[in-house]
Amino acid sequence: MPLPSQPTDARRPRAMVIDGSWRALGPGLEPLSGPGGAPLTRTVKLILLPLVVRPTLHPELAADFLAPERAAQLDALIRESGARLLATAQWFTLLKRTRRALGVVAGNPQDLYFQRCFELAAEHGAPAAGAGAFARAVVENVADADGGRTVDALKRHLADDSRHAGIERELALAWKSRRPATTSGTAAVVARAAEVLEACGGPGGPLDSPEYGVMVEAGDGDLLGRALWANPGTDAAGVWGRSDVPVHLGLTERQLPPRPQVGRGASTATLPAPLDRTLFERLFVVLQSSARREELPTVPELVRSEVGRSCAPLGLYDESLRVAVVLGGRLAVGLDPLGTGDSAPGRTSAHRAVNNRWRREASVLRARRMTVSPRPDPDGGVLDALAQDLRAPWAAYMRRLWVRLHGRDVRDAPLTDAAAAWAVLDGVARSVMMDHRARVRSALRALSVPPVGPAAVPEAAESRSA
Amino acid sequence: MAPPPVDVRVTRDDDGIIRVAAGGAGPDFTLAVLDVAGAVLTWPVLGDPGPPTAEIHDVGRAQQWLWAVYGERVAAAVHACATGEPAGTRVPVDPTTLAADAARLGLGHWAARWWPASHLDGIPALQPDVLGLELAALTHQCQQLFEESVGALDDFADFGDQPDDCAAELIEDHRAALAPLIQWWRAASTDTAHQLERVLRLIDDAADGAGLDGPELRRLRSVLDRPGPAATAPLDPATLFARSDGYALAAGELLVSGGRLIARGSGTNDWRRYPPGLVDASETAVSWTARALGARRQFEVDVVAHSAAPATGAPLAAEVRVNDGPRKRVALSRRDDMWTGRTDLDLPPGETRPRVELSVLLPGFDPGPGPETGAERDAIRALVRRRLAAAAQPVANDAPPHGSSSAPFLAEIAATTDEDY
Repeated sequence: MPLPSQPTDARRPRAMVIDGSWRALGPGLEPLSGPGGAPLTRTVKLILLPLVVRPTLHPELAADFLAPERAAQLDALIRESGARLLATAQWFTLLKRTRRALGVVAGNPQDLYFQRCFELAAEHGAPAAGAGAFARAVVENVADADGGRTVDALKRHLADDSRHAGIERELALAWKSRRPATTSGTAAVVARAAEVLEACGGPGGPLDSPEYGVMVEAGDGDLLGRALWANPGTDAAGVWGRSDVPVHLGLTERQLPPRPQVGRGASTATLPAPLDRTLFERLFVVLQSSARREELPTVPELVRSEVGRSCAPLGLYDESLRVAVVLGGRLAVGLDPLGTGDSAPGRTSAHRAVNNRWRREASVLRARRMTVSPRPDPDGGVLDALAQDLRAPWAAYMRRLWVRLHGRDVRDAPLTDAAAAWAVLDGVARSVMMDHRARVRSALRALSVPPVGPAAVPEAAESRSA
Repeated sequence: MAPPPVDVRVTRDDDGIIRVAAGGAGPDFTLAVLDVAGAVLTWPVLGDPGPPTAEIHDVGRAQQWLWAVYGERVAAAVHACATGEPAGTRVPVDPTTLAADAARLGLGHWAARWWPASHLDGIPALQPDVLGLELAALTHQCQQLFEESVGALDDFADFGDQPDDCAAELIEDHRAALAPLIQWWRAASTDTAHQLERVLRLIDDAADGAGLDGPELRRLRSVLDRPGPAATAPLDPATLFARSDGYALAAGELLVSGGRLIARGSGTNDWRRYPPGLVDASETAVSWTARALGARRQFEVDVVAHSAAPATGAPLAAEVRVNDGPRKRVALSRRDDMWTGRTDLDLPPGETRPRVELSVLLPGFDPGPGPETGAERDAIRALVRRRLAAAAQPVANDAPPHGSSSAPFLAEIAATTDEDY
């Protein structure tokens, strides 16, 4: 790629420096390169940055732009690894061939093998005699890496009738020992959440909000969760500042969250609201959507901890994650994807950021010819139902948020500060947008291909069940 | 020929969105859009080819490709803008091959959505599988623009946030066209054969990297390894691809429904109000007839269907407004190559020149009537006619082999050999 002449003291984009050093390594890197010769984005993300550049060891290289001496330092790091990268490329080709021969199809080979190939290259250099056996071992090893943390294993674990009954008893016991609370005090909690949100969404990125720590300390999430157990009739206006939403914001379909059942099966197309899910359904979502399942607790441990978790406030153990539910709820009641501008309780800078993103998304969807009518249309069928979801976006938002927080809880990954919490809240807003896109897309596809079976639009583009 | 140098304007709004503005905007159907890592890129398809406009929501991710699309100076300006330096600077763009590839990918996606296929206008439809496979190849070609978040702790979302990073999905969806494409490659003239081979090799490479497998892909790999001799007999690509159309067009033949003709006219065919693949894109595809049946005044709507429209399933409707009265909706049903519907009208007995506003829409999809955009629709038709004319010509020798967004897509080349047009 021709580079413009630049003053030599200028800072250069790190990505550009990496690209130049990569190309300078010469031929033999094609398996790790894109069609134009640039490193694959996964090569950069999985090999070059974490294993060669290592910004944690070289914090001076952890920037988008580098001064000339830093650029030279980074260039040297990549060049030094040249031989090893060439060997990595050869191992990757061998692993792909081995994988095909073994009939392994699950997962993306780049995600699965890139780092292993780099390790193999360090240990053995380029593949030589006997490399085939190493390759087979790696492919088989990676394929088994989930260590039995699968939906099937969960199914088998819960198929045992006496175990099933035992868990049922434990759930009943744990459910009985809950301590419901009144909603008095939740308004103050939600007001604090608004302060945190105000600090989050500004153009300069999230500001540090000490209120977040205060909320975690005070157990604000715990309070909301316990209030949901106690007050079916409470006016949501007293909690969220809006009377046209349920207090639980769709976390349950009922007035009060029911006692979780054990369950024996699940399907992504028919998952109930989060707090109505069985223990099986809660763990099913974790097991079928997680990358790096090998880092999860084993299935028996997962089941054991889920018993207590599902009877904890908001179905979560960690208080920082429960506080994120409060923040998310406060955000969700002010979301306005259709830009109707209906009055909603005091919108914070976080609301402005998310709602403006929806507004931009709407114009992208028009250009993509994927619109839904902004006003209700009785003839609108599936598309009208999707538009209806956008008019009550809090439900989809809270569902997505809860799943993500639950995944963190299972992995014991709290949200340590307001910035981390905002990253999740913001990411969920984007996921809800992308869900909408995927659902419109599959609804439109169903129109242009006359339905063979039942014309259901699945919740996800690809639904799974067990 | 290198495009003339252009500047972009780098600004930042109150939400922290950084905009790299290149050109003007237009109606929705004149914009090509592409979701890339940290930003949305748009190009006006009617304007001169040029750099895209970028709306950047995640500067860190966008910095992975900004330099490679706009050049180093724009990347630096975005960086400066994000770190709080005064915005609003004009920065010169360095044309790059990635920018040209991205523009071509954006245009291909645009064609899949807005291509004004019309039997009435003589604009053939593009075969969706052929276009889909070339888009898969182009997506792989543009891989630098996309960055799936990999293995992140927060990856409990079941969707990536990059809907256009979909090479693998496109290959899966359109793999049925792989065998015909291979056949076409072996029989095509030199220039088209080069383009076909490039597309097929990119698909093979993308499928290999993503771990896709299957009989079509295995066959592709073995043919690419050992192509064998090219076919000697010329082949008409239009015969290779399954066509869902094939109706005998009856447009213009009025359905006989009796009564006395009062008036007839045509309506508005606003493409924004229904999804692709249902309605013939011609201005004359939407028409009405008012008849007197005794004292009754009957209003009939005829809408010519898209050649590939399914016979059932899409509940299209017409929206009618007579003499500035209330808007009335008329359900349409499919009859042969038409969507038709009728309704009774309140017309004064002597009325022979009713003022009729008529449009076709899909309920639930329809964003509502928009501003009049007939001139832009005509401009789009002129654009695709130019493209089809170019696609029917042999490739000029000095044309860049790739990276020119104006070079015809395979689906366009195949469409020009369609003898029905």
